[in-house]
Amino acid sequence: MSTTTAPAVSIDTDRPGIPLTRLVGVEVRKSFDTRAGRWLSISILGLCAVVMLVIAFLVTDSGEFQDFPFFIQAMGGTLGYFLPIIAIMLVTAEWGQRTGLVTFTLEPRRPRVVVAKLLAGLIISIGVMLLSAALAAVGTFLASSVRGVDVSWSISGHEIFNFAVSNLIGVLIGFAVAMLLMNTAAAIVGYFVYTLVLPIVVGIVGGLVEWFGDLAPWIELNTALVPLFTGDFDPTGEEWARIATAGTIWLVLPLGFGIYRLLRSEVK
Amino acid sequence: MIQVQNLTKTYAGFTAVDDVSFTCRPGAVTGFLGPNGAGKSTTMRIIAGLTPPSKGSATVGGVDYRDIPNPGTQVGVLLDASAQHAGRTGREILTIGARTMGLPQSRVDEMLALVSLSDKESRRRVRNYSLDMRQRLGIAHALLGEPKILMLDEPANGLDPAGIHWMRGLLRGYADRGGTVLLSSHLLHEVQIIADELIVIGNGKIVAQGTKEELLQAAGTYVRGLEPRALEQALASAGITVTPSGEGLTTEAAPEVVGKAAAAAGVALVELRQADGAGLEEMFLQLTATTQRDAVPTEGAQA
Repeated sequence: MSTTTAPAVSIDTDRPGIPLTRLVGVEVRKSFDTRAGRWLSISILGLCAVVMLVIAFLVTDSGEFQDFPFFIQAMGGTLGYFLPIIAIMLVTAEWGQRTGLVTFTLEPRRPRVVVAKLLAGLIISIGVMLLSAALAAVGTFLASSVRGVDVSWSISGHEIFNFAVSNLIGVLIGFAVAMLLMNTAAAIVGYFVYTLVLPIVVGIVGGLVEWFGDLAPWIELNTALVPLFTGDFDPTGEEWARIATAGTIWLVLPLGFGIYRLLRSEVK
Repeated sequence: MIQVQNLTKTYAGFTAVDDVSFTCRPGAVTGFLGPNGAGKSTTMRIIAGLTPPSKGSATVGGVDYRDIPNPGTQVGVLLDASAQHAGRTGREILTIGARTMGLPQSRVDEMLALVSLSDKESRRRVRNYSLDMRQRLGIAHALLGEPKILMLDEPANGLDPAGIHWMRGLLRGYADRGGTVLLSSHLLHEVQIIADELIVIGNGKIVAQGTKEELLQAAGTYVRGLEPRALEQALASAGITVTPSGEGLTTEAAPEVVGKAAAAAGVALVELRQADGAGLEEMFLQLTATTQRDAVPTEGAQA
């Protein structure tokens, strides 16, 4: 083969790279451009709407059940189960559907793809949270106007904080579990084990074994986070240390290991 | 220009790519030919920065692929036409690519027209695409960013003969404009139609490379003697190595050399010619016979 006639290098290394905003935009788009992706978000909001209607019309009207903060709390509880699935799918679809082959060819700087996915997951989650808050407002309005319940619209900063932060932490956990497991079904199961099974198991074992009960808040994030979302909403120094420790175990380590593996692994 | 140097990739004791070196020059279509599992895809994934090599290096235009900013606009890559989300439409897949690379939406329509995917087809989900349509979509995706270098893994797989000729026209024009093309195939006739230069790989090792003409020549000579045993001995004593082929023998030596050796030994020949009968096919089988998976009997059924 004659290589003497080959012209000079044809690759331009001074060209601008792909800005992160564009990557985030593409990732957001990828969450909605398949039937599965679109219906996931629509179903989550549909479920929120059902919960809202049940509370507005069927739940007993004695007490504070039709107050706006209660609706917000119910929305948050519903989202807590399903919102992280959106973030999980953003990560795992690249492996299950093998689109990673294209994604990482177009942007070989893999950590940027991870950051774009994380930001896209947070943006979509915030969007769904805002829509569910709107549903909460609709529920409060319906309970008041149609059912004639005497409702309260006042909501405290703590209640908003609880709704927003607990859901975003759930999304981050889902993302981290997905990065660790790289498989949709396993990641969803993993998230539910973390969020549903683990606190119960830890609660039971902690009640039976004293030393484990003392240890639990240090290693189990749900338990560690309790002081952040209840009581005076003001964790003590030790409680913050527990959140940091458990957060490292459940968020930082899986995410760090997932990214480390992604950087070294081959995309097939 | 794609340059691969002493590339080796081992997986837990298994060597998928074994000390492979080659260069794809601009203006030519280089065919990467080898049986399935020969290491073609692994080599291409290493070039695209998706698989880390165990040893050696692969550069595109002198640069590590991962150091190319917005690489889609400089190197067009198709590694697996089926590796797409089955639930996306063809148009949407191109749109995502165009958005990532920062291209206008009009590029999507241009590429769809180039690969002859109709507007209606482009709005169907990839799940319902034939392999032929997936390949066309994959080629459209690779060409989206107007790259100067193209790397396509098995792009003709699933194309009908007309489709293969269409691709030849497309890639020929692309190379004539100064583009570099590396395409792989496990089918000789595809590569024979499309490529100018060939790299033949078997079990991770390069077994032959050169222009199509050079490799045709390398197929050597076919010779048949009146007394086969006497001819074999005559050629052996002249230092010419032969392999039995049907009733006669094939050798890498030129017909002239074989004729002289036979004449000197006084052996009568019935047939002496350039072994070009099946062209590259013979060469491909010959080159890969020792390294391919299935054991192919080298001796025909003796009458």
